[in-house]
Amino acid sequence: MSQLVSAQNIKDTLLKIITSLNKKYDYQFNVTTSNGVSVNCRFKEVENIEYHNDTEMTVTVFNDYKKGNASTNDLSVESIEKTITKAENISKNTQPDEYQGLPEANFTLSESKNLGIFYPQDLNTNDMINLVKTCEEEAFNFDKRIINSEGAGFSLAHNEHMILNTKEAFGSYKSTDYSLSCVTLAEEKKSMERDYWYSSTRDYQKLETAKQIGIKAAERTIARLGAKTISTRSCPVIFSPEMSSSIIGSFLAAISGPAIYKKSSFLLEKLNQKIFPDFIKIKEEPHITDGSGTKPYDCDGVLTIEKSIIKNGTLNTYLLDTYSSRKLDMKCTGNGVITNIVIESDLPYPSDLIETLEDGILITEMMGSGANILTGDYSRGAFGYLIKNGKIIHPVTEITVASNLLKMFENIKSIGNDFDLRNNIRTGSILIDDITIGGAT
Amino acid sequence: MNYIQDFILTNYNLTDAKLDKILSTAYSSKIDFADLYFEYTNIESWTIEDSIVKSGTSSIDGGVGIRSVIGDKSGLAYSNTFNYSDLIEAANMARSISKSGKNKKVKLGKPITFKKLYEPSSPIELTTDKDKVNFLKDIDQYIRQKEPMIEQVIVSLAASHSSVFILNTDGINAFDERPLVRFNVMVVLKKGTRRERGSAGGGGRFAYKEIIDTNFGYKFADEALRQATVNLEALDSKAGTMMVVLGSGWPGILLHEAIGHGLEGDFNRKKTSAFSGLIGKKVASNQCTIVDDGTISRRRGSLSIDDEGCETQNTMLIEKGILRGYMQDKLNAKLMKTKSTGNGRRESYAYLPMPRMTNTFMLPGQYQNDEIIESVKEGIYAVSFSGGQVDITNGQFVFTASEAYRIKNGKISSPIKGVTLIGNGPEVLKKVSMVGNDLKLDDGVGTCGKDGQNVPVGVGQPTLKVDEITVGGTKI
Repeated sequence: MSQLVSAQNIKDTLLKIITSLNKKYDYQFNVTTSNGVSVNCRFKEVENIEYHNDTEMTVTVFNDYKKGNASTNDLSVESIEKTITKAENISKNTQPDEYQGLPEANFTLSESKNLGIFYPQDLNTNDMINLVKTCEEEAFNFDKRIINSEGAGFSLAHNEHMILNTKEAFGSYKSTDYSLSCVTLAEEKKSMERDYWYSSTRDYQKLETAKQIGIKAAERTIARLGAKTISTRSCPVIFSPEMSSSIIGSFLAAISGPAIYKKSSFLLEKLNQKIFPDFIKIKEEPHITDGSGTKPYDCDGVLTIEKSIIKNGTLNTYLLDTYSSRKLDMKCTGNGVITNIVIESDLPYPSDLIETLEDGILITEMMGSGANILTGDYSRGAFGYLIKNGKIIHPVTEITVASNLLKMFENIKSIGNDFDLRNNIRTGSILIDDITIGGAT
Repeated sequence: MNYIQDFILTNYNLTDAKLDKILSTAYSSKIDFADLYFEYTNIESWTIEDSIVKSGTSSIDGGVGIRSVIGDKSGLAYSNTFNYSDLIEAANMARSISKSGKNKKVKLGKPITFKKLYEPSSPIELTTDKDKVNFLKDIDQYIRQKEPMIEQVIVSLAASHSSVFILNTDGINAFDERPLVRFNVMVVLKKGTRRERGSAGGGGRFAYKEIIDTNFGYKFADEALRQATVNLEALDSKAGTMMVVLGSGWPGILLHEAIGHGLEGDFNRKKTSAFSGLIGKKVASNQCTIVDDGTISRRRGSLSIDDEGCETQNTMLIEKGILRGYMQDKLNAKLMKTKSTGNGRRESYAYLPMPRMTNTFMLPGQYQNDEIIESVKEGIYAVSFSGGQVDITNGQFVFTASEAYRIKNGKISSPIKGVTLIGNGPEVLKKVSMVGNDLKLDDGVGTCGKDGQNVPVGVGQPTLKVDEITVGGTKI
């Protein structure tokens, strides 16, 4: 039932179609396919099995600086031709913009290039079911207070990407994704809490074991029991690696080409200025083996390159795609995508940031959409733990976290070595001084 | 026009006998229920930025989702082609949720009829591309001429049209065509070194002409400018617990997050919701009556039939403070020994349906808006929000204001920024002490995400006062 499209097949089809297209126009074709399965179990029973196979082709037409875009999930020749016509028709109604067009680059990058992100693995459904059952069972066995579960799940996907344009650029690559997760609920004194843990890798062999994941999910859920409200205060806050990567995500959004040329960023006019403390380094490393963000080229087909974004606390570059770079009259940085981002510190990494904190809060969850990229204002709901003298005292609920991102970056005091390799933003816990915590008591 | 009925079934020669065969393949002797969900969706969008309509996009997504259900177990497989052999293969994969069992005979139902809440035609085809582009240019010009502090204007029009065909082993055989349009305007104003944003928009299940041939666009352009102007003057807000008045309309996102998700059938069957087992119990103040109503003509959150072919309903969730019912899809309703409330929805054929909200809102109370504000000595008046989120297990929810003011001695005073509200679902509605008589539904902009599936929804409420809620801010 899957339209198994290999890059070579579709390349040949497209090259044939291209010969009959309008030579005055430029065309770009992006194709992605993803095939896989996900299995979920709850209370030791299979809850659902979903097989997925997704295909998408996007055609971009540049017609004398006018652009049209159309996509389809049907890769028959007839459908591709229809989609091309549609994109052409759209381009006849849009307006010219001198910065639009294919990138200058032309290259050929075949799937044979080994990026270290494609690890096909033969697994049958029973193996997967056993894996998730074990995972959930370990969570239940861990503590009597684990009384319920939203189940454990496993998923795998084989992905293929291809890009081809009429300036003779061609690229394709394959990747795999595996993930195993468990969501548990704990109850004590009539109050319920839920938490989860997951592992996600390119290589099945590198997944954390079902036992590790089940236990970690249970531990995290139990730790949340007995949460108390606290008073409003201003204090140092440790953001867990997951939360830290969300904060760094806001930083990356603010230095992206579109945010800059739309003047919609609090980091406008901050190029070559110091925005982080001296000891912070932020790099983009597009080709990390096993990296969850590893990509050889961006969405326009520009090769991705390694770069230093923050060095000695100073902003070295914006993240520019082809269009933004032309619009801003700067060099394209291949950032029609963001690949792997690595945050490093010149200071020694404490093995446990919590031990270094006398009086503060550890934030492990944030909720809501309160990161304003235009102004840097930051205000979100949160869940975390009260810390005194380097120890967790109790979980805290119904709190808000507020500051301004620029101030938060300046106030970074240290980074832990608990790097989260599941995320394409690789950071450890970050300790930030002087955050306003709103509390319910 | 239903693309599935008029083209797909004929072009792919999917006769009743073949449909029968596909459905019975998904339905073995071990399977309780099976359904086929055919979908063909056309989506487009047009955007003006820097006064140039730079790009338009158009996409087509079509396929068939096949589901086999035994008890609380579901198997899903889908095909993004409509070939008979691919559909048989998908049906075989879906039924692999059960270990064995023979094919079970099904009898296809006759196409059902139901009340149509919107016109079947595609908004994309009813209006020429030229008219869409000219409209965007008009709005852009209008804003730029009106506002000297303008730094950025982005205006967009988007529409989708879905044809669906639902066939199941309960005898449901239903076709539906679902139009949806959306208009959005975002402005950035600059005063000195300060930049602030304002945004507004609306839409629903109707044609573009309702937007293009009316003052709809200008109204929202004015609203976005007004909001940005207010935000240019906004001061830092104080953190802590305080009295909050929520404006009418879109602030109803409070209900969606604080209680709506917690009342979805799946969470309650699994007893993972903070509202589990509370039917008949008091969960809100007497003044609160809340419904989920999918039957309102042409609204963004409405559906004539849900994605399992059940007619949508007006479901009483909370009546005068007492919890009356949950929102159900077929699977959860069956396991909880009740009936579907027409809330079975899926993002597309590629996802399993689950209980989702439609239009969720609170019915009007007795107070005037100004009466409510005058009753507050010190607090916050929040009139617009950018979004929200909830943890259904512990009930903690958050929502973030995009326009808010301080109230001092019964009067609205300075605007404030960075206001995040956090509370506990089962607790917060008990603290609702005044409900206004000014019920308003939102303008048709809501999208709700659950388990990675997005669906359009509506919210609404009258002005209401919450005696105490935790407010986030940078000042102490």
